[in-house]
Amino acid sequence: MQHRVLALAVAACCAVTAMPVRADEAALKSEVEALRADVAALKAEVAQMRAAPAAASTAPVQASPRPGSVATSVSDAGASHAGGGAPNPGTALGDGTTLWGYGQLDYNRPTSRPADTQFDLSRAVIGFNHVFDDSTRIYGELEWEHAIASASDKGESEVEQLYIEHALAPSYGVRAGLMLVPIGLLNEHHEPTQFYGVERNFVEQAIIPTTWREGGIAGYGNTDSGWQWDLGLVTSPNLGKWDPSSGEGRASPLGSIHQELQLAKAHDLSLWGRLNWLGIPGLNVGAAVFAGKIGQDTSKQFEGNVNFPADNARLQLGEAHVRWQTGPWDFSALYTRGTISDTQALNLSFLGQPTPVPESFWGGYAQGAWRALEWNRSSLVPFLRYEEFNTAAAYAERPQGPGTAAQPTQRVWTTGINYYLNPNVVFKIDYQNFHYDDALLNYGNRFDLGIGYQF
Amino acid sequence: MQVRWLLPIGIGAAATVQVAHAVQYMTVAQAQQAAFAHAARFVPIAADIDTTALGAPAGWKPLIWRVQNASETSGWFFEDAVIGKSELITYALALDASGRITALEVLEYRESHGGEVRLAGWRNQFQGKSVADPVALDRDIRNISGATLSCRHLTEGVHRLLQLYAHVLAARR
Repeated sequence: MQHRVLALAVAACCAVTAMPVRADEAALKSEVEALRADVAALKAEVAQMRAAPAAASTAPVQASPRPGSVATSVSDAGASHAGGGAPNPGTALGDGTTLWGYGQLDYNRPTSRPADTQFDLSRAVIGFNHVFDDSTRIYGELEWEHAIASASDKGESEVEQLYIEHALAPSYGVRAGLMLVPIGLLNEHHEPTQFYGVERNFVEQAIIPTTWREGGIAGYGNTDSGWQWDLGLVTSPNLGKWDPSSGEGRASPLGSIHQELQLAKAHDLSLWGRLNWLGIPGLNVGAAVFAGKIGQDTSKQFEGNVNFPADNARLQLGEAHVRWQTGPWDFSALYTRGTISDTQALNLSFLGQPTPVPESFWGGYAQGAWRALEWNRSSLVPFLRYEEFNTAAAYAERPQGPGTAAQPTQRVWTTGINYYLNPNVVFKIDYQNFHYDDALLNYGNRFDLGIGYQF
Repeated sequence: MQVRWLLPIGIGAAATVQVAHAVQYMTVAQAQQAAFAHAARFVPIAADIDTTALGAPAGWKPLIWRVQNASETSGWFFEDAVIGKSELITYALALDASGRITALEVLEYRESHGGEVRLAGWRNQFQGKSVADPVALDRDIRNISGATLSCRHLTEGVHRLLQLYAHVLAARR
């Protein structure tokens, strides 16, 4: 078809140029040259026309990362280098104040107890930080759990962090206030986009009571060789709060006695310490301890319990972790173990109650995730996690009686997929298989769906 | 735990070193000197950038220098800033004449969270990369656990500068 057009055009040109009768040879020659040029031009046009449809069909597939014209003009002259480069748009609230947040909605369906299926707005968090000057800032995190908090509802409203940070040098400084305990992989980085699966792992809920925070003063720092350290003097949990009649202490021993700086008993303090090494990109290996007395002199408090026999009880919790992220792979493993001393007499006073204070509790997990698919800013990340934990691995020796046997070790397999719509919005699906069921502690095979975001 | 005596000591220690410290690790001039020791001249370049075409935030305007030795362009130097977790990270990027990264320096980091992007080991991952590489977190750039946002945003910033180089500056050599 295009050949025919070309032929017609050439013929027409020939006819027109052949018209003059009295043409001398030179003129004729130059006209032939002109014709040749015209034909060449036409040929080129035809070639272009042919190429165009083909290009149009391949273009979208290539998803060209290089847009055609980006700059409208570039010049050496305008040395307008007075101001700094413009940042990404943040969520700035004006001078020095930034707002951030995250949230999580969970749907849980126990396979053997479908009647207990529930959908919960687990948490909605608004965080802020304000910069006072180059070296001083405040961080705050406000949280609502389970959607509604009131006297007649089950939700909670809480201040999760609130501390002043003062940098003494670029690489170290001090913090004071209500701070997250630097332990484990999850406690400080608990946003739903940061972990795999709808629910946080059990080990870092039952043994390390994420989100665990204490009030006090702490130092932090890092070195050029990749070490990161933390050292803190903070409030302790309060063993005087232990409720032997409920299952709370069995679900999470420390979770049931941490005080979250809510009129916290502060007679006994604890120390925390952590050392992480991040010297190889993608690797995080470290360990942490939290240790201190937790009796809080309950027997001597004005409104305390004069018969409380565990004023000298001491908590020691240790933890070690490793995480390796390379390419599409993300592997992590963590082990933690805690002990509480001087519980013998206390447990004796709890005789007949279902939940004595454990002498030791521990947990560990290994997890692997693989970013199987990635397109634009989205990705699909299947994962597998195996956990073992025991919230009451041993009780202090005491006369035989009901409730003295240690708990069985729970084992949980979790597999599922995190679908990241973008790095800050995640939809999750998973299935959890439990070694044994316990309706009170919410153990039992289940299917979960979740929504999470972070900004 | 008998730790009462620690409190006054700690507070005292904090008070005695109560000096406001800048968080600047390097000045632009120092970074330029480090990246191009023998450069004759750093010529500021003003470029009108079509931010939408680059997928950059509106108003994005990194500082750009053409590095000259005699009359030859021996490389490019950029200063830009991205949000870390919630505050700005100011950084500098140096490219050789062919657009390969020769240096990534963090000039200023203000937060304590995510400050690990300063680690040389992490920054060295960018060495030799060009617009032909993905320059994407968790692909050819590894993450630092606990500093994900800073790592991601800084990686995105470098990626954007490479795009800027390829589409705007490369043609002008």
